[in-house]
Amino acid sequence: MGTVLAPPRSKPPLQRAPRLTRLQRLRRRGIESYLFTLPVVIVFVVLFAIPLAQSFYYSLTDFNGYSTDADFVGLANYTTIWQDSSMLSALGFTLVFTVGTTAAITALAIPLALVLNRKFFGRNLVRSVFFFPSVVSVAILGLVWGFIFAPLGTGVINSIIGWFGAEPIAWLAEPTLAKLSVIIVAVWGGTGWHAVLYLAYLQAIPSEFYEAAGIDGATRWQQFRYLTLPLLIPAMTVSQLLLLTGGLKVYDLPYTLTGGGPGFATRTLTQSIIENGIAQGEVGKASALSVVFFVAVGLIIVAQLALARRLESRFS
Amino acid sequence: MKQLRSIVLSIVMLTIAGIVAIPFYYIVVNTLKTQPEISASPLGLPSGLDFSNYSEVFATLPIWQSFLNTLYVGVVSITLMLLIGSMAAYGMLIGQGLLTRLIGVMCLIAFLVPGQTTLIPLYRMLSGMYLVDTLEGLVVLYMAGSIFCYFLIIGYMRTLPIELFESARIDGAGAFRIYWSIVLPLIRPILVTVGVFQAMWVWNDFITPNVFINSPDKQTLVLQVYSAVGQFSTDWPAFMTLSVIVLAPLVVFFIAAQRHIVSGLVTGSVKG
Repeated sequence: MGTVLAPPRSKPPLQRAPRLTRLQRLRRRGIESYLFTLPVVIVFVVLFAIPLAQSFYYSLTDFNGYSTDADFVGLANYTTIWQDSSMLSALGFTLVFTVGTTAAITALAIPLALVLNRKFFGRNLVRSVFFFPSVVSVAILGLVWGFIFAPLGTGVINSIIGWFGAEPIAWLAEPTLAKLSVIIVAVWGGTGWHAVLYLAYLQAIPSEFYEAAGIDGATRWQQFRYLTLPLLIPAMTVSQLLLLTGGLKVYDLPYTLTGGGPGFATRTLTQSIIENGIAQGEVGKASALSVVFFVAVGLIIVAQLALARRLESRFS
Repeated sequence: MKQLRSIVLSIVMLTIAGIVAIPFYYIVVNTLKTQPEISASPLGLPSGLDFSNYSEVFATLPIWQSFLNTLYVGVVSITLMLLIGSMAAYGMLIGQGLLTRLIGVMCLIAFLVPGQTTLIPLYRMLSGMYLVDTLEGLVVLYMAGSIFCYFLIIGYMRTLPIELFESARIDGAGAFRIYWSIVLPLIRPILVTVGVFQAMWVWNDFITPNVFINSPDKQTLVLQVYSAVGQFSTDWPAFMTLSVIVLAPLVVFFIAAQRHIVSGLVTGSVKG
């Protein structure tokens, strides 16, 4: 993320082509470079700028998707979304999911990466097994886990519990358990991906560092605390940024695993936006929610980057 | 001592990996069973090798149609987004001035906007263009991915010496000629990485087809699995079989492209 946010590097002046003055060359290059960027400008205008402006505009009106005369209602939509219980519970669950998956995946992926960074028999197999869930469709995994959690005959978890003589648990029918189930599946599916990310950073640490630390008599814990951990901070920034923004945007997994239920327990903000804005024609309200969503994602990115910068300066 | 530790580590990690892999074992093993067999023991081995579930699923569902739909959308949109992304990156590299900088800022904004914020207007726009419920509509939406391609490609291009592009100019080649016969071959490694990465996204995407596609004959594979669950709600083996059929190509893809996926993950997260 950091590299992208940095302003584009200015190029050193290029070698002079024959028989063209510098000005002519610049002008020619300018026109050519704009021709090359034209497609991406069209993509930006059609798929980003216009829809973004429309979302802002709709959020200030009572547009219902059909009427030709939408009235300007000011910030009314922005106040009603805080009174809509389904939207509030979507906000609540989305936050719980984001914090839960970020914390759990970080706590599991770092040790996993540390283990995968050591040599042992079957290491590649273990890495592939952990990584594979993030290559396949989350939606299909959600559906498969729906069968695994089921209280019916397909329910693996309940039949395992049954061996110990316990009663079957209605994983997806009880609000708190349903939330927990969605998070468990997300952690199961995401840990390998982030472990591989951490692993890439770990492998970039020169082994001489550890040799030197070993010679200086540093204990294993001291090596981790003063050598590995500081060098992992950039990886944590990246991984947690992906987890936080990905968590806020989550849709596939809860939708396919629980359908957002029971009640509104595992409904996500994205599901709220889609159902209100497209199915129910409450375009104004849904747009207000989507604008709030945009601002929230932007704030998290800024906050995370600021925090990362402070952490990096503290540890190194 | 060191060897013993490594053996213990192997045993522990292979056991954990075995537990993590149970869901995959579960769906594969249950495609070979009948429904009563699954109910009796969801994780048990089948009584024999019975592939009748597979023939039944292929007979009842238009899997080939969905496969071709997904392939069509994937190939067209990946080709276009790589083209748009690499052209933009090259244009930004040779371009100078305020307008070029403005385009850079534009791409950054586009990168930060979550798809959720533009979803409703895009739905209305596509429905105005009669592109809702068409595969071409999906391709249009996936063009948003060219922004991600742009960031990865320009990051890679900056590591290449600019003289490579410039020497051809002095020899009198036009910008398009340079782009086509010098730039594209030079950036092939990153095109493969980004292509693999974006192919995974398009192939696995659920939200876009779920919102924009209604007709059964225009479904992508993932959407077909989703809608089949309703249809098969009482026929678990059929659902498991369908999932295995849809996941199987990804296993092959995963084995073939794992290196690119990992390098895309690393460069993607650093650059993006």
